[in-house]
Amino acid sequence: MSSEIKEVLPKQGVLYQEDMPTVVLCKPKLLPLKSVTLEKMEKMQKDAQDLVKKQEMEEKTIGHSNLPSFS
Amino acid sequence: MDPMFLAYSYFRRRKYQKCDEICSQLLEKNPYDQSAWALKTRALTGQVYVDEVDVDEEGIAEMVMDDNAIATVARPGTSLRKPGTGQGLPSQGVRPVTNSGRPVSGFVRPGTQSGRPGTMEQAIRTPRTAHTARPVTSASGRFVRLGTASMLSTPDGPFINLARLNFSKYAARPNLAKALFEYIFHHENDVRNALELASLATEACQFKDWWWKVQLAKCYYRLGMFRESESQLKSAIKQQEMIDSFLYLGKVYVRLDQPLRAVDIYKQGLEKFPGETTLLTGIARIHEGLNEMDDAVKFYKDVLHFDNMHVEAIACIATHHFYTDQPEVALKFYRRLLQMGVYNTELFNNLGLCCFYAQQYDMTLTCFERALSLADDTTSGDVWFNIGHVALGIGDVNLAYQCFRMSLASNNDHAEAYNNLGVLELRRGHIEEARAFFQASFVLAPHMYEPHYNFAALADQLGDLQSSYNAAKRAVDAYEGHVDSKELIQQLKQHFTLL
Repeated sequence: MSSEIKEVLPKQGVLYQEDMPTVVLCKPKLLPLKSVTLEKMEKMQKDAQDLVKKQEMEEKTIGHSNLPSFS
Repeated sequence: MDPMFLAYSYFRRRKYQKCDEICSQLLEKNPYDQSAWALKTRALTGQVYVDEVDVDEEGIAEMVMDDNAIATVARPGTSLRKPGTGQGLPSQGVRPVTNSGRPVSGFVRPGTQSGRPGTMEQAIRTPRTAHTARPVTSASGRFVRLGTASMLSTPDGPFINLARLNFSKYAARPNLAKALFEYIFHHENDVRNALELASLATEACQFKDWWWKVQLAKCYYRLGMFRESESQLKSAIKQQEMIDSFLYLGKVYVRLDQPLRAVDIYKQGLEKFPGETTLLTGIARIHEGLNEMDDAVKFYKDVLHFDNMHVEAIACIATHHFYTDQPEVALKFYRRLLQMGVYNTELFNNLGLCCFYAQQYDMTLTCFERALSLADDTTSGDVWFNIGHVALGIGDVNLAYQCFRMSLASNNDHAEAYNNLGVLELRRGHIEEARAFFQASFVLAPHMYEPHYNFAALADQLGDLQSSYNAAKRAVDAYEGHVDSKELIQQLKQHFTLL
């Protein structure tokens, strides 16, 4: 008895190969790193926005305290 | 200590706020103290200074009504608007694209965030999603916002009243004029006055100072007068060859949509300054813009040869490797970035993805946890989206579903997450929900082919052949080489002819 194992290949019959189209997923997304300039610009913008908000808040509170109170 | 000396020391250490305060005190004592005045000008400029070579914000008006480009129908590979067919570029089925139809880059700079849209319709549609709002013109964009930002910090009015300034007096004094120009250009953001001062100053020195020519070119560029800018820069280079001048000239040609000319200019610069990384990066960026990824990576590798800490080059090469089936190589590059001290959401997210696809499962979730803890509103959606992919990879569909939901919770316009949710719903057999998700996805991001194709396939199965055909057409428009969409169209055409 030989130790070799022979592969089995079908000699007759029809070989079917069916390509089943399926729905596709979106691919994983590597995030681009930000350049130093962009980071700096975003930081400056954010600081400015925070400052505006702070100033507006201050104006509001001052405005409220100046309101005459009717009691 | 002498306050002036202290102010200079603060200026050198970039503590501009403190320097500004001391100078203000000095100026209160003696309003005619020129050195304090000049130092304060420079300190105020330093607060808002950004490298002008890197800044490039295009508004809708500049992009769509651009009449500077020479050829309206350029040959492929010679224009940034119609990039070449792309050799060495992974297909869109592997590497996602931005809304201008260009593969996502590994690095963003101001102005490269969303690319050039092809049509007016596309340009107007883009700002609808909250995260990519684009100014109407660059005159209403970030420049102005930065300018007004600087006004805020001085409640008692601006430091220098430009309207009452006698420019010709200052132009004749080079020591003051240069500081004043930078203040007007960067801090006040008043390009017209800056241009006036620069033209007077360049006259005052009999057109012998290259610096003023470069500044004139900067002003012309901002005003959209690219040909004038070009001639000033050429004259400046003739007088004194400087890296900056070459970079600006390249930038002008990119804006005129002559990428090959820009590459020529950078190469001229490289002859004079061999191994200058900024010039090499410029060439690489143009190749990337033209979809010539092989060449781009070659130049990025050249950059790393001269400067092995160059973040942009490392990131771009890593992205290229990741999308060409070599996540383990990409992992090495991203790890290098981590060693260099880059520490943000984007990097950890990329590391997590690379680890997962390079089969280093022990690190994957740790990286994503780190990414989430560092994430802000703009990035957490993307991070959750990628975690969803990891969940899909290990077969945990429920976790994936929740991740994509989380992605939508932090960014309601995340088109990719909508598409993937649609696929998951379809697997569960919820056809109506799936349909709604696909629809939401392609309305938000018409540049992606996936939702179009999915919608078409679903509609085909439901028997709604007409909308299937339309959607498949849109899929092919977004991605010409998509075989399944083409086959679907073929089938549908056969159906229609039989009817």
